[in-house]
Amino acid sequence: MTMKERVNLVIFMAVDEVNQMLPKEKRLKKSEDSVLLSPVGGLDSLGLVNLIVATEEKVKEELGVILTLADERSISAQNSPFKTIGTLADYIALLLEEKTGG
Amino acid sequence: MDSKGYKCLLISDFTIDNLAAYLNNDADSPQVKSNTASFGQVAQVLTDKNLDCWKDNPDFTVVWTQPERVITSFNHIINYKDVPIKKLLKEVDDYSSLLLNIRDRTRFIFVPAWVFPSYHRGFGMLEMKTGVGIANALMRMNLRLSENLDKAANIYLLNTQRWLTICGGNVFNPKLWYMGKIAFANEVFREAAKDIKSALRGISGNSRKLVILDLDETLWGGIAGEIGWENIKLGGHDPIGEAYLDFQRALKSLTNRGVLLGIVSKNEETVALEAINRHPEMILKLKDFVGWRINWQDKASNIVELARELNLGLQSVVFVDDSPVERARVREALPEVFVPEWPDDKMLYRSALLGLHCFDYPAISKEDLERNRMYLAERRRKEAKKEIGSPEEWLKSLKIEVRVKELGAAELPRAAQLLNKTNQMNLSTRRLTELELITWAKDKNHKLWVFRVRDKFGDSGLTGIISLAVNGRTGRIVDFVLSCRVIGRKIEEAMLQKAIGYAQGCGLQEVRAEYIPTAKNKPCLEFWRKSGFKLNKEDRSFIWKLNSNFTLPDYINVIQE
Repeated sequence: MTMKERVNLVIFMAVDEVNQMLPKEKRLKKSEDSVLLSPVGGLDSLGLVNLIVATEEKVKEELGVILTLADERSISAQNSPFKTIGTLADYIALLLEEKTGG
Repeated sequence: MDSKGYKCLLISDFTIDNLAAYLNNDADSPQVKSNTASFGQVAQVLTDKNLDCWKDNPDFTVVWTQPERVITSFNHIINYKDVPIKKLLKEVDDYSSLLLNIRDRTRFIFVPAWVFPSYHRGFGMLEMKTGVGIANALMRMNLRLSENLDKAANIYLLNTQRWLTICGGNVFNPKLWYMGKIAFANEVFREAAKDIKSALRGISGNSRKLVILDLDETLWGGIAGEIGWENIKLGGHDPIGEAYLDFQRALKSLTNRGVLLGIVSKNEETVALEAINRHPEMILKLKDFVGWRINWQDKASNIVELARELNLGLQSVVFVDDSPVERARVREALPEVFVPEWPDDKMLYRSALLGLHCFDYPAISKEDLERNRMYLAERRRKEAKKEIGSPEEWLKSLKIEVRVKELGAAELPRAAQLLNKTNQMNLSTRRLTELELITWAKDKNHKLWVFRVRDKFGDSGLTGIISLAVNGRTGRIVDFVLSCRVIGRKIEEAMLQKAIGYAQGCGLQEVRAEYIPTAKNKPCLEFWRKSGFKLNKEDRSFIWKLNSNFTLPDYINVIQE
């Protein structure tokens, strides 16, 4: 399994947790193109906080690495990493690469 | 509560939307529709009943605060400032008054007890020292809060610390606080939602009353029929034997709080009963079980029969069995029966039992504590019935005594409990809090009587309620509630005679009773059809014209108190 696939699985675990708090019609699909933030859909700000914290916890549990997903870098990035599950996975893969030097 | 579930208002000094989300979206019954009051406006929301958040008339309210935010002195204490304990407790009293202020505004109020982040070590080894430790101060505050809130029967202080302990780890996640002003990790809200839903089920009369147990590999290790009762695994110097012993102790402890035990097992009855009667380490004796079906029949059918024998609905039953096949079968055949997933590891049996969310009651009455004894008396009654030929002769032999009293403060908790949890013999299934009930009963046009029943086999306690609302020349029976323990012993008739006698004394023309059907109260309809009241098919009401008396067999001794 590639690192990207492992990261996707970790995010899907976090999505499972967050979905428990969402009404059926608002639950996130577990796919890379699933929209997290957009003016017409996705999560509200509290939902995004829940997803970020749940994802950080799952990365720590499953991959053994402590990451900070919401910081100045991610918030000020021109292309927000929180647009879709796919962009979030790319961002996490990048952080892991930097962290592990891999 | 309406048919769509409970309406809830969440009041907090932190972002509590995640609790709202768990209450609203999880599949456990009952359904809840939560709203949150304005963030951080606790005092304003508690004092001002005209705020928008109250306009929806919530059925229940959760008020969850952080101690350092609502009690100024505690904020000083956590900053290592010296605060006299009197001053601290005075602030707790003031806060309690705010909570008591809303007791009439909503039917039930849940207040999670105060907790404090575990990452704060405080004074370390002085933490539990009186007058010094932060933890010591918080314990005193919670105790004071609990004592103050005892004044209101509809306010429940919840054990927050248990949720934190279950979730372990990082329950105070500073990230959630700084990013969303969320005070706890989401697992804590999930546990809180489970406890609140369990409390709601208890309040609405849907807590479980009977645990039906399998025997082999559930109450003891091994198959008694194959290895003999002498060789079953129970007690002794053995971790598994000890675990079974502790599981039995935990079951026995449940009987002390009013939960009944029964057996449904595929076994030879003589072999199984011999194991229970003769094994020297058996904690549960035959007298601890209110009934059993030990045979080779289908367990689902046996459960139905046993529940029927005990006059309990299947929604009162929990079934515990080590076999996943039997559990799946019962779950499929009897969806109303709660069949918890059961651990493979015998050493987890006790904790699995004690962690079940299905035995919550809003109050513990004398009748609850003595329920086991009452059911045993009922078994003796039924045995006597078999020996005596006619039902009439049997009733005569019981020497039934019925004590009638108007509702007063002493009877209020038990009467409210009976009203709220009785499903089968219940005319209107009206659910009221203690305050609502006593307020209704004190209206000059209303009367509410409670009935205590005893006979030669024992005291069944306060088991009946009838209430009457007078409007012009008509008396309307509003509540007609009888515990399933005493159904069919002419107590129903004694209750009707009381209401009819009173109505005649007032010079009324007729007494009416409207049967409101639910999924569970068909036995009540069956009684009313045979009661002698005339059914008016147009409005489903039963009518008694007061120019004739309602008679009661002379062997029922009714005493007015």
